[in-house]
Amino acid sequence: MDKSMQVIAVYLLSHIGLIFFMYPTDIIESLSVGHWCAILLGFACHVAVIAIYTKGLSYFKSQSIIDIFAGAGKALAWILLLPVSLYFLMMLILTVRAYAEIVTIIFLDSTPLWAVMALFLAVAGLISFMGVEAMFRTGLLAAILFFPLLLFVLSVSFQNADWHYLYPIMDKRSASFSFVLERPYLLSFFAFAGGFLFLGFIPPYVPYKRRAVLWTTPVLLPFFFVSVYVPLLTFGRNTAVQFQFPFIMAVDTADISWLMFDRVTMFFMITVICFALLFISLVMWKTTLMIRRVLPFVRPDLASLLLAAVVFVICLQIPNWKMVERLFWWNTYLRLYVVAVIPLTTLVLGIRRRRKGAAGI
Amino acid sequence: MNAKLPVRIALKSMTMAGMLIVLCGCWDIRDINHRALPIAMGLENKEGIYRIHLLIPQNTQSSSSVRIVSDKGSTINEIIDRISKDLELEVDLMHLKVIVFDRTFAERGLGDSVSSFMRSRDIASKTIAAISDESIGSLFQTLKSTSTTGGLEIYNFFEKNAGWSPQLAQTRIWQIFQSLHSFTKDVAVPIIKSGESTTMTSTGSAVIKNGKMVGRITPEETLLFNAFNGLSAQGKIEVMNHAAVVIDTDRLSHHSSVKGGRAVLNSRINLKVTVLETKGSPTTAMVKQELEQLLTQNFERMFARLQAEGADILGVGQFFRNRIPRDRLANWRTDYYPRMKLNLTFHTVIEDEGLLKMKP
Amino acid sequence: MEFLQAKQKQDPDLFLHRMWIAGQPVMLAGYFSLIDLPQTMMLLQQQARHAADSERPLSALASGLGERIDRADEQAVFTAISDGCLLVVPEAECFEGYLRIVPVSRTLSRSIEAPTTESVLRGSASSFNEDLDTNLGMLKKHMLSDLLRTRSYRMGKDQNRKLTLIYMEKHTDSSLLKAVCRKIEAHLDKEIPDLIALSEDVFEFPKWSLVTRFNTTELPHNASAALGQGKVVLLLDRYPFAIILPSMITDVFSSVNDRNYPLLLANAVRLLRIIGVLANMLMPGLYVALVSVNPDVLRIELAMSIAGSREGVPYPSLVETLLLLFVLELTLEASIRLPKSIGPTITMVGGIILGQAVVQARLVSNVLIIILAATTIASFTAVGFHNAITIRVPKYLLLLLSAIFGVLGLFVGILIVSAYLASVKSFGVPYASRWKNKRSPNG
Repeated sequence: MDKSMQVIAVYLLSHIGLIFFMYPTDIIESLSVGHWCAILLGFACHVAVIAIYTKGLSYFKSQSIIDIFAGAGKALAWILLLPVSLYFLMMLILTVRAYAEIVTIIFLDSTPLWAVMALFLAVAGLISFMGVEAMFRTGLLAAILFFPLLLFVLSVSFQNADWHYLYPIMDKRSASFSFVLERPYLLSFFAFAGGFLFLGFIPPYVPYKRRAVLWTTPVLLPFFFVSVYVPLLTFGRNTAVQFQFPFIMAVDTADISWLMFDRVTMFFMITVICFALLFISLVMWKTTLMIRRVLPFVRPDLASLLLAAVVFVICLQIPNWKMVERLFWWNTYLRLYVVAVIPLTTLVLGIRRRRKGAAGI
Repeated sequence: MNAKLPVRIALKSMTMAGMLIVLCGCWDIRDINHRALPIAMGLENKEGIYRIHLLIPQNTQSSSSVRIVSDKGSTINEIIDRISKDLELEVDLMHLKVIVFDRTFAERGLGDSVSSFMRSRDIASKTIAAISDESIGSLFQTLKSTSTTGGLEIYNFFEKNAGWSPQLAQTRIWQIFQSLHSFTKDVAVPIIKSGESTTMTSTGSAVIKNGKMVGRITPEETLLFNAFNGLSAQGKIEVMNHAAVVIDTDRLSHHSSVKGGRAVLNSRINLKVTVLETKGSPTTAMVKQELEQLLTQNFERMFARLQAEGADILGVGQFFRNRIPRDRLANWRTDYYPRMKLNLTFHTVIEDEGLLKMKP
Repeated sequence: MEFLQAKQKQDPDLFLHRMWIAGQPVMLAGYFSLIDLPQTMMLLQQQARHAADSERPLSALASGLGERIDRADEQAVFTAISDGCLLVVPEAECFEGYLRIVPVSRTLSRSIEAPTTESVLRGSASSFNEDLDTNLGMLKKHMLSDLLRTRSYRMGKDQNRKLTLIYMEKHTDSSLLKAVCRKIEAHLDKEIPDLIALSEDVFEFPKWSLVTRFNTTELPHNASAALGQGKVVLLLDRYPFAIILPSMITDVFSSVNDRNYPLLLANAVRLLRIIGVLANMLMPGLYVALVSVNPDVLRIELAMSIAGSREGVPYPSLVETLLLLFVLELTLEASIRLPKSIGPTITMVGGIILGQAVVQARLVSNVLIIILAATTIASFTAVGFHNAITIRVPKYLLLLLSAIFGVLGLFVGILIVSAYLASVKSFGVPYASRWKNKRSPNG
């Protein structure tokens, strides 16, 4: 049965979970004027990568990317997938650690970091352990429950917008794309590149329509824009660049006199964190899938438990936020590899397979 | 499915047990009744020594009262910590609604303390800022002695859906912070002091440039300032020789241009007013003409003074963002603003004359 | 014959009654407690007279009266007797075997009454009772269709319990039907004294499940609607509920009766139920989170009044909430046990007197009383009593999580509950999915 709805929900949620904290910081830092160029460029890459990736996958009928690469040769599979699993591991560590840090910075200042990380890993592990189908249904349920809240806060966040900050539209720097190879911009790619790989892992379990996913990608674009432009319009670039989490600061300035709650930011952040938790559990599931491929004797529950424990221990070893940022930067190389190589290889393998099939007939 | 079951239970119970352990090793969670929630903070600075006054509401099931706690020290955090230590409650600044700065402190510069408020997550960025015209000690004493609702007065005084009136500027901490970094925006911070029959009265607004108070405007000028910012002047009474009117709605349109290196802004403010009171028997045409004249005059006077001070509290520089390149806009306050030409026309429509007829 | 007499010595309820039918001596055997003997005898006499009028011998008559059982088959005899049938044992040697006759039985079931756990405002209000045949008949009355199919099973080794499976041809998904039948047929020897046995022994659902894997209803109307949707209905003898398989999350929020209201109203009511269930799960947790971990989320006015109302409460908000929740659960449980006439008194004592006193004694804050009262009311907006008690449980998880992690814990708790609901599957049908009338085979 077609489960495109669930796939779309998880696709949206996992990206939204990644967008709102670090992405605006990087984009605002990388440019002083014309941020839309940067957003659109990144987004275009995102859509292109997804299109290539799913096109490649569509040549194989409901086969996961592991099977596809394994089918092309064991050595090739090892070479291609080892960086991917490393990337997943890094991603897990970074997301858990960074989000725990954000939580303690922003609203649980007396809660120790390890407790928040333990909560994240326990919940993510539990969800990933319940299986991929349950995870996708959870995604849909979470979307239904949390989305109204999210949209409400997003619409409220425009309260203090000064639209004059839209100007000037662009300058030489943004028009020439000279920012592209600079560090903050490359860092911003994690919001685009983090979530799409799951599309290759799920076909045997959760079938979906390629077209449906491609058509939903534009839904994500407003979220990218809002995350960057709300702080810009509220504070202006000069002020926004001072903040660690500009979007959160911008939402914090909104004042709603009729609500019984004072800080709607809190609800916003927590919904986003819940989405991120889903993302973490998805990555955990993917990683355990790969682990079990290499070590088939490990029981699935043991695998996810072990993975969570390893991630927890490594997270505890990261002393401060500077280190998190440095790890983010190191991870960028892996990320670029994942964005560039995996989809293209999939496409090439797919085309080769079709040729072979045609020749066979 | 069934084989997994015991494992699943084990997993779940382990998580639960883990959480319970976490709970037992409880960190610093204090219930709301063990926290002091100051509603206003007064900040003085004399020769580098801060003095903080906190206005803490104290509610019980039947009564409400206010207490004032004050202490001094070299940093704000140090003082708060000391107060927490000495008080039977933990001070939680999250609910701080108003921060009142001493005037001499504001004249010397608020930049550092505002930045540190923004940095710390304890204080909400939407806390309202105000400047006290008298000593903070006596202002807080008045607040305490006249309070009937547990100190909420000072908050309601500034709150839009409570006691706020358009002669009062409303500026929040983040806006001051923004003005520290912005090329084109300065802020006006309300000046308050204890009133004679009311708890508080506003004596105008302070013009803050780069965190320093450089001048002040009267309450009437604050009204114009609010009208220019589109914070509709609704409900405000304007006294003239012949009549008093209330402004219903205001609508603004701006056109900016740069001619020969000089910024020109043509603004038009459309006001819809209702007549409240008349002296003698003026015609509506007279009222209209007088009103427009008065407003234009007042506004031009205020603007000239602001230009001289070099403080762009109206934020007119924003209208030139698409006219002046960004690198030159950085010098807006020095290169353009003092020489800028503002052509402001008020256009009023007298919507109705109340329940009595008037001559046309 | 001898073994019947032997049996009678052990069980005085068994009667062996002699009488003459059509001029021949026969022995009647059966249970006093199940058979209305005088009426039955009259009926037999009447039938015999008719037969005698048409001048037929008893042996021929026998086939007209009832079913014939071989003399040797002892087990069949006892089964027939314990089923409440009357055995006719001809004493004449010319006739071998026994006759099994359906007698006039004593009325041991209630008459058809209005439902006791599901109240119906607008819709058919007769409810199932303990008698399986009555129930089946009622269901058939509600479902006049030639597509209705039934399968009958006898479950258990020592106790025989009848189980009837009902489905609708063409409507019911064949894989679901097959799965259900396979499970039942594989466990025909299992006793099913209660629903847990049915769920665990027969259907092999996990033991520690929060969600009931089947929906129960007292109303033939609901059962027939479920059949129409392509679900499978089970009727268990002596169990006045129909069991509907599989149960879905939507069953918690929408009842069949909603369809008797205009669509807009029905949807509004469903939305209300969803809000009610959410409120029930969230509110205690939210209170604890806001009071002890994240008071900064509250508006200052609210924060002050809650702080004021908690003045003098000697324990943390988690303990306070748990304490009061415990009292409320006690009240609920007690009011089920108590006779109807005392119920209101308990409500009075529990609700008003205790609530008032507890606040005045400063043992809990009065804001909490309001919140928990609303919570309890909200929990019964869920459709069906079994669902209403199910949703009472997760709020404790949320409560604990929010005591530790504040609002974050609360939301993560919601995520965990959603994940749990999403992971539940019965017969391959996910609990948290929309029921589709005609599903493709792999669900």
